[in-house]
Amino acid sequence: MSKKIVQTKSLIKIYRRGRFEIYALNGVDLEISEGEIVGIMGPSGSGKTTLLNMIGGLDRPTSGTVIVDGRDITRLSSGELADFRLREVGFVFQFYNLIPTYTAMENVEIPMSFAKVPKREREARAYELLSLVGLKTRADHKPDELSGGEQQRVAIARALANHPSLILADEPTGDLDSKNAISLMNLIKRLKEEYNQTFIIVTHDPIVVRGCSKVYNIRDGRINLGKADQEI
Amino acid sequence: MSAWNMALRSLGRRKVRTALTVSGIIVGVSMAFAFLSLVAGIDVQISDIIRRIGGADITMYNATRLTRQQILAGATNTLDESLLTTISEGVVGVYAVSPQLTFIGSVNGTRAPINGIDQLTHSIVTGGLNIINGSSLQEGSEKEVVLGKTLADTLEATIGGDVLLSPLQPGGESYKVVGVYETGMALQDRGCYITIDESQNMTDREGIITAILIKVIDPNEVSSVRTEITNLIPDIRLVVPTAAIQQVSNMLNTVRMFFFTISLVALLAGSFGVVNTMLTTVTERTREIGTLKAIGAKGGQILTIFITEALLLGVIGGGVGVLIGIGLSILFPMFAGGLSGLPLGGFLGRGGRTAGGASFGGASITPAILPSTILLCFSLGIIVGILAGLYPAWRASRMKPVEALRHV
Repeated sequence: MSKKIVQTKSLIKIYRRGRFEIYALNGVDLEISEGEIVGIMGPSGSGKTTLLNMIGGLDRPTSGTVIVDGRDITRLSSGELADFRLREVGFVFQFYNLIPTYTAMENVEIPMSFAKVPKREREARAYELLSLVGLKTRADHKPDELSGGEQQRVAIARALANHPSLILADEPTGDLDSKNAISLMNLIKRLKEEYNQTFIIVTHDPIVVRGCSKVYNIRDGRINLGKADQEI
Repeated sequence: MSAWNMALRSLGRRKVRTALTVSGIIVGVSMAFAFLSLVAGIDVQISDIIRRIGGADITMYNATRLTRQQILAGATNTLDESLLTTISEGVVGVYAVSPQLTFIGSVNGTRAPINGIDQLTHSIVTGGLNIINGSSLQEGSEKEVVLGKTLADTLEATIGGDVLLSPLQPGGESYKVVGVYETGMALQDRGCYITIDESQNMTDREGIITAILIKVIDPNEVSSVRTEITNLIPDIRLVVPTAAIQQVSNMLNTVRMFFFTISLVALLAGSFGVVNTMLTTVTERTREIGTLKAIGAKGGQILTIFITEALLLGVIGGGVGVLIGIGLSILFPMFAGGLSGLPLGGFLGRGGRTAGGASFGGASITPAILPSTILLCFSLGIIVGILAGLYPAWRASRMKPVEALRHV
């Protein structure tokens, strides 16, 4: 049995809108092991992104625990959470969220510069990561000079920069055509095979779901385990 | 990848907005600079006038009132020579003192003020007599006299000739004319100068003088030295010939404060521009801030990024503002020819007492560009930038990553 990377217990998140209470998450238990590619599916507003934000330390649950790599992150201060996000997780967003004034190379360097990695080391690592995602020749290009698929690859390289134990992706293929979606998914699978990298991916995309080792379905704040091909 | 680098690129991305924002600071800084340089220029000119007026900074007389009988009997108010030591040793800020004994005497039968001076200290304190012909008294002069121009003309005296000096009676002792001086002041030019010892012997006033001429170390300290002497010695009268100019100088301080305040108001307006721009930038970059926080930036790091950006606006604004201010200060005299020889010069010029009491008219005001002004104005720009950036940067640093990421 491989090492557990993520474990949530009775996770509840309540949003208050005036007199109403909305249960975005209503008792979510899940377990994710190292090297898994886990898909999270569900209709919009079902709490997928909320769950991802809880696991990534971007938001705090109303109750319940989130244990990442053996540590309960719901007990961390906001400074410790920032540090957790910096070193333990990598985020990939639907619209890439690269810094427009920075080149691909510099975008990959940002998390390392927050972690105070020396410049020389940073540059070597950024170059290595861009090679890994197949963008070695595009290192000096700014985001607006890159295609969507290329930008998302840069985003994955950026997410990998500080050797996170887990990468969280929110609709990573949502803005890509099928060709680019397939090649991105192939990259993700390759990272799993070669580096035993763990991924949690919120998605609607069948291309992504097909590549997942495990898929959770969320509806009305509750979660249950499905099979990868079952729902499509 | 430094915060500087990040700020520079972010500003470069929106050049027009950056330029407009910076111009707000530039206006304030260059205004402050030009005003301060102009006032500094007037300051320089005033110091110059004071220097050219020359003479003692303070002249001290006995202020005891004499009775009518005493005056009719020919008495004058006198001081004891020992007061020279009292002042030079007892008053802080005094550079040198010099004795003078003045009485109305007769020169070749003509009534004239005769002044006895100590040549060495007199020239230190007053800068010496303005000799237009011949030479002044020398150290150890004996039976020599320097005549005022009017007196010399009246007597038709020539250099090398002899005149008879006495305390208001015909006859007297013979003195050799060694020089002629001119002050431009009627009373002064009707008099003459001999050594203090000879004047005391002539009037039987051993150890007695009528005035003490005082030079202070720092001309700006004249009034405090004056107060100190007043407190130290009773019944005296102190005359400060540069007092009027000092007053103008003090007035100038008010003008300086006024202009400076106007500039600060202009800078304040400029700083609102910076606040506005920075708030817009922060709002526009909400998602970017959310992203940076998601990938691990701490609040402090976000704060640094935006404060650096505001600081950079201040540095550019301050730098360009100072350059434009220097330009204005250099161009000002060219366009403001009508201001040359302001009444200031002419009016103050008449205060001249002794040496070089010529006209000061025609003096023009040239703004003085001082390193301290450059430093002050540049810092002002930077300070305005930082202060104006604080609130927007704080807002950016406090954003919740989840909400910031949701921002479109």
